[in-house]
This record gives sequence, structure tokens and C-alpha cells, in this order.
Amino acid sequence: MFISAVAAIGAVLPMAATLSASTARVHKASQIVTVKQVTDETGRAVLVPFKVNRIVSLAPNITETIYALGLESKLAGDTDYCDTPAAAKLKPHVGSMLNPSLEAIVALHPDLVLAAANSANRRETVDALARLGVAVYATDSRTVRGMFESITHISSLAGAAQQGTALVARLQARIDALQTRLAERPLVHVLFVVWEDPLITIGQNTFIADALRWSGAESVVIAKQDWPQLALEEVVRLEPEYIVFTGSHSGSSAAQMSDLRSRPMWKGLRAVELGHVVNISEEIDRPAPGLIDAIEELAHKLHPDAFPGENTSAMNHAPADIRIDVGEEGKSCAH
Amino acid sequence: MRPLTPRRIAGICGVLFALLFVVVVISLRMGTYPISVSEIVMTLFRGAFGHRDEIPSEFWLVVFGLRLPRIALGILVGAALSVAGAGFQALLRNPLADPYVLGVSSGAALGAILSLTFAPHVPGVIQLAAFIGAAATIASVYFLGRRGGQLDSATLLLAGIVAASFLSAMIMFLMTTLSGHELRGMAFWLMGDLSTPPPTPNVLEWLLFLFGVFAVAAGMIYATTSDLNLILTGEEEARHLGVNVRRVKLVVYISASVLTGLAVSVSGSIGYVGLLVPHVMRMIFGTDYRLLIPTSAIGGAIAIVLADTLARTVVAPTELPVGAMTALAGAPVFIYLMRRRVR
Amino acid sequence: MSAGAGNNSSMVSQPIPFREAAPPRLKAEQVSYAYSATDRSAPKFTLGPTTFEAQHREIVAILGPNASGKSTLLRLLAGLIKPLSGRVEVDGVEASELDLRMRAQRIALVQQESELLFPLRVWEYVLQGRYPYGKRLRFESDEDCLLAANALAQVGADELRDRWMDQLSGGEKQRVILARALSQQPSLLLLDEPTQHLDIGGKVELLRRLRRLADENRYTVVVVTHELNLAAEFSDRIVLLHKGKCLRVGSPAEVYEREVLEEVFEAPLEVETRPSGRPRVIVRSSH
Repeated sequence: MFISAVAAIGAVLPMAATLSASTARVHKASQIVTVKQVTDETGRAVLVPFKVNRIVSLAPNITETIYALGLESKLAGDTDYCDTPAAAKLKPHVGSMLNPSLEAIVALHPDLVLAAANSANRRETVDALARLGVAVYATDSRTVRGMFESITHISSLAGAAQQGTALVARLQARIDALQTRLAERPLVHVLFVVWEDPLITIGQNTFIADALRWSGAESVVIAKQDWPQLALEEVVRLEPEYIVFTGSHSGSSAAQMSDLRSRPMWKGLRAVELGHVVNISEEIDRPAPGLIDAIEELAHKLHPDAFPGENTSAMNHAPADIRIDVGEEGKSCAH
Repeated sequence: MRPLTPRRIAGICGVLFALLFVVVVISLRMGTYPISVSEIVMTLFRGAFGHRDEIPSEFWLVVFGLRLPRIALGILVGAALSVAGAGFQALLRNPLADPYVLGVSSGAALGAILSLTFAPHVPGVIQLAAFIGAAATIASVYFLGRRGGQLDSATLLLAGIVAASFLSAMIMFLMTTLSGHELRGMAFWLMGDLSTPPPTPNVLEWLLFLFGVFAVAAGMIYATTSDLNLILTGEEEARHLGVNVRRVKLVVYISASVLTGLAVSVSGSIGYVGLLVPHVMRMIFGTDYRLLIPTSAIGGAIAIVLADTLARTVVAPTELPVGAMTALAGAPVFIYLMRRRVR
Repeated sequence: MSAGAGNNSSMVSQPIPFREAAPPRLKAEQVSYAYSATDRSAPKFTLGPTTFEAQHREIVAILGPNASGKSTLLRLLAGLIKPLSGRVEVDGVEASELDLRMRAQRIALVQQESELLFPLRVWEYVLQGRYPYGKRLRFESDEDCLLAANALAQVGADELRDRWMDQLSGGEKQRVILARALSQQPSLLLLDEPTQHLDIGGKVELLRRLRRLADENRYTVVVVTHELNLAAEFSDRIVLLHKGKCLRVGSPAEVYEREVLEEVFEAPLEVETRPSGRPRVIVRSSH
């Protein structure tokens, strides 16, 4: 009995004593770092170092933005799902967006962790990291304009303010040009299909809904929920002019068309009869520079008469196009 | 004829505690961040004796900020769920009873969803709301489960199942109709998550509070264990032998529900532990509840810490939810136990 | 310790001579009972006023066909329910007024066993009979173990000690349940239809054992039964019930009259007297 008592005490005592100390914030005892206080896009106060050399990204759109800003040398790690550009897949991974490994993040010694509130990242992850004394800045791009602001914020945090301004200016210019072309044209009514079975589309407060408006389109479904589920009969009643799918539905457009025409309820839709089915890149749902490509692509497909003489199928800028722009600016990222 | 003595209980618990200690040390060692056992031990001891500044900040972070709180929470949740499970198995006279059968976890989940919808990110609200949801369910099922003025096992079971289904339906409804942003966290909560940060800045205070509640509720169950032993051989017989069956049932019902509510409020619903640990302990140590309750508590702690360790290391850096791990391990154990019973 | 003298004498079988003039161990005075399905409806069942007494070392048989109120009377004697009128006294104290603990120390009730949920050993089961004597948390003392062992010996179930309860035969289980009741060291031993699932050999063995226990440990034993001949052979007193009414109280010879028995049991019967003076009932052949 004595032995068991000793064993019990031996188990409990060090744990109890040491847990009492775990509460205080962690100081980087080995170095003094100058920090500034900023407010992130969700309203949190964050202490960010002046010099940011190691960034961990918790969302694919942030990773893409970092590459677009030419800052990939500062990217110490990203998620398993960061695949644009392809080089991002080679970076050290910290796990999924929903539940990244806090230890893996800590092991990468980041100066700054970037999370996306308008995405699969959870507030709990951000809070947990903040608790551990890691600087976490959360973006919250709910609209295309919001995305521009996020890019600006990220670039200034990472010490690349000039690249950020330039990138945003370029992207803004393209959007403005698009608006000019589409001026005076009525918005095309579309059904944006997130998932076919059950049929799920977008709500009016989603990022995609905003992107659609910039493309000269509007969802036929007005819903407060982000991902409303519809019955197909409802779609028939709403009579969309176009049906939009994203790249997750693989196969060529022709194959997709014939597949839709063979399905009982779908083939009755006017849009299907007229062949008004469009497939665009998944970037339409990603608040990153590649979004502008997707918007342009969609605008071309929905308003073919607004772009005389341009081949719609060739309208797919690779993200590399954007990169080249940045490279021309010639700014270095190192600090 | 060897009756149970306090000495024997302490001896067995001592061995189990030692096993728990080993499991804790192993768990401290495992993880994505590379840190060796000697570094862990050094961190622990320097921390215990106040030499915090001698520890590299990241060792501190990993051991005290990440792993140890999670392990401590796992011990608490495992112990609470197992004791609750053992209690419900006796109360409901049903070996298949687990802590969630009376709908307590669904009530807690509903409370959590509502709090996420109306007051997200206020520290402590989700745990409080979950606990209130659990308490409301406990009270409702109690009133539904009475017959002739006292708790009747069969009626209670039915009332609990009905409550659980109803609450689950409401949860489904809310999850599909409400906006997606705040509810991302719910998926994890529903599958069990030991990494929820405490609502108070001081981790130790929070853990001590939780352990305090556990100690009170588990203690109350323990005080009824010799009564429970008799009730298990028949309620009428127990009454004739002088057991206040009505009071004992009420005490066990409330305490086991509180333990379940506690566990679910801090970590979501982790399944199989409350069902299986008491059975395994019974197989090894017998049905005497005076021994079963403490061994289930420690056994449950060991099980959850092991499951959580596996959950965060098997497919690193991705972390599986703890509930998935207990289900994966629990299902085969359950099948094995079922087959043994049909001797 | 508990009331009721002579309980420690199980190993020494020299009962102390007892004078009959002492107050009776068990006394039922005009006890009646009624219960209805709800508060307001008419009573579904009533037990009319019943009076009888029993001394130490006496076996009382409560006799009657099904639904005559036997079990109700037994529960009244056990103090589980309060009589509508009259009183039940055990050792001079009203049965239903006793607190749970005291009642369990004086009165042991043997019924058909409920199904066990989890495996249990025989000695664990018998040891549970010591519950009324323990303190909080009730870890059994050596004395408790000794008394439980004695109880097993008294029912002749010594060798069953380490067996699992769910592996016992009907008769073995019967003995073990009795042993648990004995380890309560009661004054009053109540049994509800204990011979139900036993064959004739088992029945006789049980009643002989009860007789011996009553004599040696000076219990008062009350047995509810519908077995006419066993009751006649082994009991000192019969309480005859019929549809909730107490028809007769007395020795078997006094109670067993052909007309009365025929009316109660609704069968053609014949009563003979055996050399011992005890009656025997046989079915009258129809011619």
C-alpha cells in the first residue's frame, strides 16, 4: 500500500506543480523582438513583429497570395491543401485547415501565422495559438474588395507593402476594365451549383455571390444561409439563364453537357436546352489573386457578345502570369 | 471467501495509477515537435522548481502549453465518463448503457450550438451553455422517467432515448438552417476534442475546478457503492435488506449525469469509453462496485490518454478527433465482449 | 447487535427452553388492507381483518388458492406496506414503523430471485445479507464472513461457496437465497411460495430444513403456500385465506375440515387423519 501511495503521489505531484507555471504567456527568452500592435480583420488585437521572416499559412488562398507577392521564401509552412501554385505542395505541412497540428506550427518557429476567417480555419485554432504566444493574424475576406484589403494587409505585415500596392492596383485595373465592358448590360441570372446531389447553391452573403456580381451575373437564389439546399423543381421555377459549375466537376464541357441532357429533371431546364452551362475554375471561391482570372473567365462565358473577337476557351490565365508581373517590379523581399 | 478490503482497493488502484503514469510519460513524449524524454524530464523538473527561464521557450510551450493540459483534460474526461457509465449500467439495469443513453450529451451539444449562434467567442460561454443544456436534459428526463414517485429503470431508459432522439433532431435542424461560419467548430465538438482551450487564463485553476466537480460527483457515487451492489441483485431484495433504493437511484442518477455533462461540456462527445471501460474492469476485477468505480476511473483515464495520443500522432500532422480513435478501438473490443458474454 | 436471543447458537444446537407464556414473537391484530388502481376508483382488492399470533420456533403457513391475498398478508407482516387497520407487531414493535435498517435486522424475506445482471459468486451473494449491520461503505468484517459461512453451512450449501450464481440449479439457488436471509440474523423469516419450482424431494427437504432452523435458531417462520399437505405436515399453525378473507386460524387439525377446504379450493377433497395426528388431504375419487 505504501508503494502504491508513493506511485500515486509521484504521478500527481510533478504534474500539479508544473502546470501552475504553464499559464503565463511565453516570452521568447532567447531574443528581444520589437512588436507592434495591430487589429486583424476579425477585430482581434495582435502583436506582430516588425520584422517578419517566417510565415505559416493556414489557408490555400493566403498561400497563393504570398506567392503572388513574391514572398515564398518567407513561407515556412502551409497546409496539406495548399496546392496553388504547385510549388506550395513542397513546403512543410502543418495539417488540415480545420485542425492543424499546433505542435507542427510551433516547430516551424513562425514570426507570424496567417489564418483565413472566411474559410475553414476555426477561431479555436487561432485562440489556441494566441494563447501559446504565437502571433496570429486572421483575414476575413468576404467580398472581392475585402480581398484587396487583405492582400494589402498581408503585404504590409510581411514587409512587402510596395508589392502589395502594385499587385492590388493591377488586379483592380483588370476588374475596372471588366466593369467598363459590362456597363449597361443587365446581370445574367445564373444558378451556381456547389453540389449536385443534394442540390446546393450559394447564399447572398457568400464570397462567390460577390464574385458573381463582378462577373456581371447574379444568383437566382436569394438566401440568407450560406449554402442553401434546393429542390430541382424550385430551379425550374426560378428559370436561370445559365448554370455554372466549378472545376471540381471534371471532364470536358461537352461531356458534362451531354451528361446533363440525359438526366431527367435537368434536361427540362431552359439553360440546359440552350447549352448555357458553364464550367469555371475553382478559384472563384478563393480570395486570392487567381480570383480575377476566374471572374474574367466567367464574364467572357456569360457575356460573349461583350468581348468580340476573343476566344472564350483561351481565357485561363495561369497564376504564373501574375507572378511575372510581380517579378518585373523587381522588389526584393528579404529584410 | 475473500471479502473486499480498503487495502486491496488501494493496492489495485496503486498499480493502475502506476500504469497511468507510464502512459502519461509516453504521451508526453509523442508528438510532432521533436523533443526527447530527457528534455521533457528536464523541462518538467525545472518547471516544478521554478527555474523557468532556464528552459527554452519552445520546450515550455510544447510540454506545458500543448501536451500536458491536453493529457490532464483527457484524464478527467476519461475518468468522468467511465464512472458515469458504470453508474448508469447499475441504475438502468442494463449492461449496454453508456453515459449518453439518457440524452445528456445531446442536450449539451444543443446548448453548445445555441451558444455558438448567439454568443460566439465569449470565453467560457460554450462550456457553460453545454452544461446548462446537459442539466436541463437531466431534469427533464428525470421527470419523465419516474414511475410511482421514484425512478424506474425501464421508464428512465425510454425517456432518455426519446430525449436523445428529439434533441438530435433539433441539432440537425439547427445545423442545416444556421449559417456555416460559427458552426465549423461544432463538427469537431461532436466528435470529441480535447484541445479546446480553457475559458480562464489560468490553466491550473480551470483544471482544479473541473477535478473538484469530478471529485464531488464521483465521491457521491462512491458513497452508494455498497448499496449498488445489493440493488444489482434485485431492487426488491435490496429494499428488504434495508437499502433506501429510492434515494440511491436519485443520487446515482444526478451524479452520473453531472459527470457526463462535465465531460461533454469540455470535450464534446467521446464515445465507447463510458460503455466499455466498466465492462473490461468488471472482467478483470469483478462486479463489486466498491472496486469497480475507482478502477473504472483510472482505466478510463488511461484509455482516453492513449486514444488521444494515437489521435494526434498516427497521421501527423493531421489530428484525428479523439472520438474517432475511441470508436476505432472500441468497436472491436465491444464485439469481443459481446461474444464472451454468450458463453 | 440485533434483537432476538439465541442467534449465535447456530453451531451449538442446544436451544434454551422457552416458556410459552412470554409475549408472541409475531402478532397480527385485525390487519386489513385495500388497494385500488387509482385514488378514486373502488378498491380492486381487499384483505379482510386477519388476526393470528406466532411464537419462537413456530412455523406458520398462510394457505389459500391463487389471488386469495397471501402475498399481501406477507408484505404486511414484512412491514413493507402499512395496514389499513389493525397492527402487525414483531417483538413488540410495529413492523411498518421500523426504520429500514432495524427492519432488515429482524425480518428476512425470501422471494424468487430476480435475474442477476452481472456474474456473482455465491459467497458474495450470501455476504450481502450482512448489509443491515454494516457502517457507511460497509466493508465486511471477519465476523460477517463467519456468520455468512455459518449460514451456508446451515442450509447445507457449504460446497457451493465459490460457485457462480448463474450456474446453480433451482434447488441450489433456493438454498443460497435462504442462506442470505439467514445471515441477516433475523427473528422472523418470511418465505413467499418457496416450493414453487422444486420437485417433491426438494420441497420436503426445504421444509425439513425450515423446521430444523426454526428449532435450532428459534426463528419464527411464516411460509406462504398453496401446498395443502406440506403445510399440514410441517407447520404449527395455519392461516386459511379465501378471496381476501381470513376464514380459519389454528392448528392443521383444527383448520382442515372437508367442507371448508372444498369451498376454498373448489375441488372434491377428502381429509384423513394420520397416526401423528396431522391431517392429510387427498382428492376424492368421483363415484
